Amino acid sequence: MTEGDPGRTSHDGRRFRVTLVSVLFVQVVALLLLGWMQHHFSH
Amino acid sequence: MHTLDWVIVVVWLAYVVSHGLRRSRGTTGIDGYFLANRSLPWWAVGLSVMATQLSAVTMIGTTGQGATDGMRFVQFYFGLPIAMVILGVTLVPFLHGARVYTAYEYLERRFDARTRALTAFLFLVSRGMSCGTIIAAPAVVFSAIFGWSLPVSVAVIGLPAVLYTMVGGVQAVTWVDVKQMMLIVVAMAAVVIAILVQLPVSPGQALHIAGAAGRLRVFDFSFSLTNTYTFWSGIIGGTFLMLSYFGTDQSQVQRYLAAKSVSEARTSLLVSAYWKIPLQALVLLIGVLVFVFYQFDQAPLLFNPAHERLVRHSQPAAYGAMESRYALASTQQAAAALALAQARDAGNGQATAAARARLSAADDSVGTVRAAALDLAGKVSGEPSRDVNYIIPRFVLDHLPIGLAGLFIAAVIAAAMNAISGELNSLSTTTVIDFYRRWVNDSGSDRQLLAISRAATALWGIFACVIATYAANLGSLIEVVNRFGSFFYGSILGVFLLAMIPRARGLGAFVGLIAGMAAVGAVNFGAPSVSFLWHNVIGAVTVVMVGMALSLRPSRG
Repeated sequence: MTEGDPGRTSHDGRRFRVTLVSVLFVQVVALLLLGWMQHHFSH
Repeated sequence: MHTLDWVIVVVWLAYVVSHGLRRSRGTTGIDGYFLANRSLPWWAVGLSVMATQLSAVTMIGTTGQGATDGMRFVQFYFGLPIAMVILGVTLVPFLHGARVYTAYEYLERRFDARTRALTAFLFLVSRGMSCGTIIAAPAVVFSAIFGWSLPVSVAVIGLPAVLYTMVGGVQAVTWVDVKQMMLIVVAMAAVVIAILVQLPVSPGQALHIAGAAGRLRVFDFSFSLTNTYTFWSGIIGGTFLMLSYFGTDQSQVQRYLAAKSVSEARTSLLVSAYWKIPLQALVLLIGVLVFVFYQFDQAPLLFNPAHERLVRHSQPAAYGAMESRYALASTQQAAAALALAQARDAGNGQATAAARARLSAADDSVGTVRAAALDLAGKVSGEPSRDVNYIIPRFVLDHLPIGLAGLFIAAVIAAAMNAISGELNSLSTTTVIDFYRRWVNDSGSDRQLLAISRAATALWGIFACVIATYAANLGSLIEVVNRFGSFFYGSILGVFLLAMIPRARGLGAFVGLIAGMAAVGAVNFGAPSVSFLWHNVIGAVTVVMVGMALSLRPSRG
């Protein structure tokens, strides 16, 4: 599947995992912040 | 606009065009022109993908939606990070590993030539048209605000992008996107600061005023097939839409095909997802803050200055009466907003509740007069009178300090150019790779193909400008652009899903694709109230079901 990817290293894999976790973290924080904003300012 | 603002706009346009042309050096063949010789770093690809999504429609339409409708539009993007993660582990390795120029080229290897040709053709039709609507959105607004003719507005927005995309290919597109993305973020942050400085209340009080008027309601957990902006529409329908857009649309696929490796390609997709929800929330928040600003400083009754002039001229008595009612409602609104801020400061719960009720009633009164004025404008002009796309440009020109207005207008043009350039480059790639080289001349030299690719870019650019000139009055352009793709997107996603199932066959993919589009067409015309976000789900599921049923059918003999 990735035969055309000779330059792939363990560093690439680690960067992907770190990016994945941080992306999910940012989205969760953003949703929590939006929820708090709705609750705090709309009532 | 002040001369200094125009200088900023012209200098920025000259800078990006020259930067794009400089980036074209060394592009001697189609591998460089379409894929930058697969040399682009992940962060540049990620920023470029992000920049392409942040079109002028976002800058003026979404901010306007924030002012009129509040924050709930952000739910539309809830599926995007999920889609990026799914694509990162599924389609991206398939497509990048296949060493193809276009996503549709891969479909011929997996299925057959007709499936490739049909999907590529659908892409050309839908993207070619949507490219025109992307230019039309800011062009219509510019022509009403600056008094330019529509073709001039279209040329100012479209031609610089056509020029650097035609000469520089994906190298120019990507590196100009990176630069312009920075300008857009700086301009948006500057607008937020400028609004906060001009508000007569603190940021906290401003948000309480917005909340009292229902502008900070983000989440709607009801399940409805007819409502586009709910949590479930965003999570389910939005995920399918984003899977289709980022996984099968050549304008996005081509970006990550240009990355150095599979790993860099999928990291770049995740990077583009990083700030999507926060950035979209910021864009909507700008609109919400403009709404708060207009609580204290009376907003125009009609934001479209061309309609305002026309109605004032042709119906002076009726419009004058509306203006008087509007002024009274706006004064009551300002008093209620100030009372709310003071009651909160004093910590008086009873007065706060009373002020909230007054503010909500005043907001309704203002809305009623505005609706009547828009109705009158529609009758007088014979055009759609919805003026959501005019709210922010009008605010910027009327209330932002010299220099900042120019910066914002440059950012709107930059956002439009980012979206256009990526699409033109991908339209050219599909035209040359999936049609010219596949069906017309498969033995042309690299130099010949490069010349044809540049000519194709120019032709698609001209086509988009012509469409933009005629698509000017299509109502809410945000929905037009999204709706257009939804007709085909889900079905094309279904074909790519089939491609990952080993037992799926070419006949199943081709017939499934047609069945998927027929199903979406039937829903679109038979049940028009179903939100377009669900069309993607219907299309993709139909293609997979029909495609697998035909693929698993025992063959005769």
